[in-house]
Amino acid sequence: MEALFQAAPFTGYVYPNETVFPWGVLIVVYPYITGLVAGAFTVSSLYQVFGIQQVKPVAHFALLVSLCMMLFVPTPLLLHLGHPERAFNAVITPHWSSAMAMFGYFAGFYIILLLLETWFVFRPYIVHQAQQRKGLLAWFYRALSLGSYDLSEKAMRYDRKWIFALAVTGIPAAHGLHGYVGFIFGSLKSREWWSSDLMPAIFLFSAIISGTALLVVLYYVSCKLRKVPVDLDCIKGMAYTLWGFVMFTLLLELVEFGSLVYKGREGIDVIWEFITGPLIVPFFVLQLAIGAVIPIVWLSYMFWRRTTGNALVFGITMSALLVLFEVMMMRFNVVIGGQEIAKTGKGLLTFQWLLFDREGVLGAASVLIAPLVLLLVMVRLFPPWEDPKKALPH
Amino acid sequence: MPKHIVRLVLLILAFGVIGYAARTYFTANSYYEYGYYRGASVAEIALDKPKYQGTAYCQTCHAQQYADWSKGVHNSVVVGKIVKCEVCHGPAGRRDPPPGYINSATGPVHPDNVKLVVPTDTVKLCTQCHEQMPGRPQGQPQIVVATHAGTTQCTTCHNPHSPRIIGAAAAATAPSGDAAVGKAKAEASNCAACHGPAGVSENLPGPSLAGQKAAYLVGAFKAYKTGARGNPVMAGMVGGLSDADIGNLAAFYAGSSCKSTRNGEKKAAAAGQAIVSKCAACHGIAGISAQPAWPNLAGQSVNYLVDALQSYKNGGRKDATMSGITKDLSDADAANLAAYFSNANCK
Amino acid sequence: MEEDKEPAERRQGRRSFLQAFAAALGCGGMAIAANAVVREAVAAGSPPPIPNIPGYDWTKHHWAFGVDATKCIGCLRCVEACKAENEVARDAHHFRTWVERYVYLEGEDTPRIDSQADPVNISASGSEGEYRFANRYKDAKVDKAFFVPKLCNQCTHPACVQVCPTGATYKTEDGVVVIDHTYCIGCQYCVQACPYGARFFNAELKVTDKCTWCYHRITKGMLPACVEVCPVGARIFGDRNDMQSPISQFIKNNRVDVLRPETGNAPNVFYVGIDKDVD
Repeated sequence: MEALFQAAPFTGYVYPNETVFPWGVLIVVYPYITGLVAGAFTVSSLYQVFGIQQVKPVAHFALLVSLCMMLFVPTPLLLHLGHPERAFNAVITPHWSSAMAMFGYFAGFYIILLLLETWFVFRPYIVHQAQQRKGLLAWFYRALSLGSYDLSEKAMRYDRKWIFALAVTGIPAAHGLHGYVGFIFGSLKSREWWSSDLMPAIFLFSAIISGTALLVVLYYVSCKLRKVPVDLDCIKGMAYTLWGFVMFTLLLELVEFGSLVYKGREGIDVIWEFITGPLIVPFFVLQLAIGAVIPIVWLSYMFWRRTTGNALVFGITMSALLVLFEVMMMRFNVVIGGQEIAKTGKGLLTFQWLLFDREGVLGAASVLIAPLVLLLVMVRLFPPWEDPKKALPH
Repeated sequence: MPKHIVRLVLLILAFGVIGYAARTYFTANSYYEYGYYRGASVAEIALDKPKYQGTAYCQTCHAQQYADWSKGVHNSVVVGKIVKCEVCHGPAGRRDPPPGYINSATGPVHPDNVKLVVPTDTVKLCTQCHEQMPGRPQGQPQIVVATHAGTTQCTTCHNPHSPRIIGAAAAATAPSGDAAVGKAKAEASNCAACHGPAGVSENLPGPSLAGQKAAYLVGAFKAYKTGARGNPVMAGMVGGLSDADIGNLAAFYAGSSCKSTRNGEKKAAAAGQAIVSKCAACHGIAGISAQPAWPNLAGQSVNYLVDALQSYKNGGRKDATMSGITKDLSDADAANLAAYFSNANCK
Repeated sequence: MEEDKEPAERRQGRRSFLQAFAAALGCGGMAIAANAVVREAVAAGSPPPIPNIPGYDWTKHHWAFGVDATKCIGCLRCVEACKAENEVARDAHHFRTWVERYVYLEGEDTPRIDSQADPVNISASGSEGEYRFANRYKDAKVDKAFFVPKLCNQCTHPACVQVCPTGATYKTEDGVVVIDHTYCIGCQYCVQACPYGARFFNAELKVTDKCTWCYHRITKGMLPACVEVCPVGARIFGDRNDMQSPISQFIKNNRVDVLRPETGNAPNVFYVGIDKDVD
């Protein structure tokens, strides 16, 4: 029989109710996916709002990535809830003082924004397909076109205005979305590890780097699948974005960590024990050294030496993979690490890994892979590449 | 404005209206009544049925135990230490005894059609409060379990509803007396007819009194006088005695040299020795008791001892502790214990 | 003419847009009006102003709890009683109330703390459903030791209520924070927010749970189960509106403390006899 709960062993003194971890790997995956949304959207906005031509090749692709991730944001939450069928209680009677309720509305608003922007961006293609296709998919495109095949200059002007407005609104919306996730943790008084004014900023900037890194990796993979050369300018543009934001993120994380340790509030002994014990590998080695310092050094070296060609592409893609790993480790160290430090400030618990359980690793991994599967479908339905010939064959 | 924009705006507005309508429709009726919550749930929570009922609830059917308890030390209202019924028995009408408890086999049936839950291991239960442990305030009566009574069940000596052993209290008030005057009074009253010269009774109707605890003898005298112990012969003998007389007689007999009757059978005595631990707590392993109010048993006639045990068992003699001990005592065990004590050296 | 066509087209476009917009406004307006009418009707046959609890008016009470840690003997009858009364899971990981033991050994500055949920104490008790403090320190040189019972503090500014996304947990007018088990979605944000560790996830009902000061008992004039069974009077309960109630007297006659005042939650369980290391 499936155990109703998993009890964690502990050292020192913990409150009796703390031996069951309330939040598991699903709640590590949820801010991760949300972060990818914000990050991918930021890259898309670099072109749509700031007109940075360098990233134009991936702008529409970024939008699709953002949309696919956003559609799966509720999934880990619903899987984690005790009563997912009541999930709408938070929407129909939101308790406005709760960051989670506010987040529900922010997320709802943002899904609509993404859907709208994607629709506008791909409208020419949709109209084209609605007119030319035959069969079931034709009906799909016709419905999406809202019965209007107007692609005149006037219509396109309206479309461009809408895209711009949506993209401009989308930047604070995306940042608010993920800032709220950080606020969910940072606003709590009960856990010293979480309670920090910097938490929304840290979550936000790590979100941006994760989205950008994801885009780098997916762009590389998609170029390889399409047997198309990687646009060096584009990938270098993304790499610069990544490089800048990773340095700033690392700075924020170190400031927050250093601040906590320096202030040395009550309970710091146990936090120190945690940092110098169970946390050494996940935090210092995996998150900081491998996930942040190596990409920064590698990218810096390549920019300094003006590396180009395959070496550049390889270096950037590898750095991006490491950054993706860093952000995952950061989410893990915050969510799980925070719960491993007891609220008593006098004990430490050990997280129990589960495999097949609802809160298990396999479930979390499927939630992470699902949006990529959806993306595969989406790029066939809405090819994001500039030159139709360069799109995936379908 | 282009058609598709118009249609899009309409679609968004329609979505908004439907969303608002759905929200209104699905919001629970009593929500927002008192605040940001479903108002009806307050009454729902308040109307759960309580399980613990309080001591008055138990009084109706368990009158004897309630009476014991209300006068006993587990109901020390002045000090503020009150061990209510449900503390040890769990909530009234409990259907599912937790580990360490069972439904009693006898007694009245509760409204939920189950019987009272009783603990199976009183050592485990009583020591939850009374085991000596660092952190317990000094005012709490505490014992070191191993040296107190080992693994003997607490209810062997203590009535759980009125646990304080009364003998110790009586001992404090034992009066002193003049042995010589007592000797004269004994001769005048012809106590020797039943109890033998100087209180050594060998096969006489009455038990040996020589060397017996003075406070116990005083208690016995008083019990006969008030009728608490029913014995027509003794009632007549002590009817005219004053408190001073009682004190003197007790002093005389307590000071007399005793002689063990030794009329217990050897095999029986050996068997009795094997189970004597429950008696030893009060009466001493050798039959010489530690407290002045608890009688010595060493060297007493076996017939008298057996009679006494039977009396306690069937309620002829009333003592909270002894009735508890003899409740489950078999006749064979009683005989063996009597034999053991009878053969012991008296003092 | 080209010049004539444009204005006509534009006029046509504007007209159709305005028609559509008006239709949308009309629909929306009707929906809002209908909603308002329904709400009026509901308010007219409106429910009573106080919850429908027979013989109880929640505006007349202001409940509070006191703990005298100088009296607690660590017998854990309160933990047993609470589990029986409130049907809490009989294991070592879910408690509405618990007792902590603080032991200062000679030569040590920090106390050794354990609760009845500690594995050593659970194995001494015999099973996960029985609770007992193992006599761990009987052979040690103990400088100072005491017991501290703990439970939900029913804070005046509860962090748990603040973070609940659905409004499933709330504070009643008479001062008790309760949970609507039919509305809670089980996100466990409130479990995270409580600085005192008073809340937990009820794995059977799949909602969160916590001590409610036995709301179903106090609204009938009874005491919470833990107060009812405490044999030494370490737990005190009463109505602060009544100056003669045990809790009012307790607060008046003692220097009282609360746990973690720096959180700003303003707890309503008042302690006497706790130490600097208790929080």
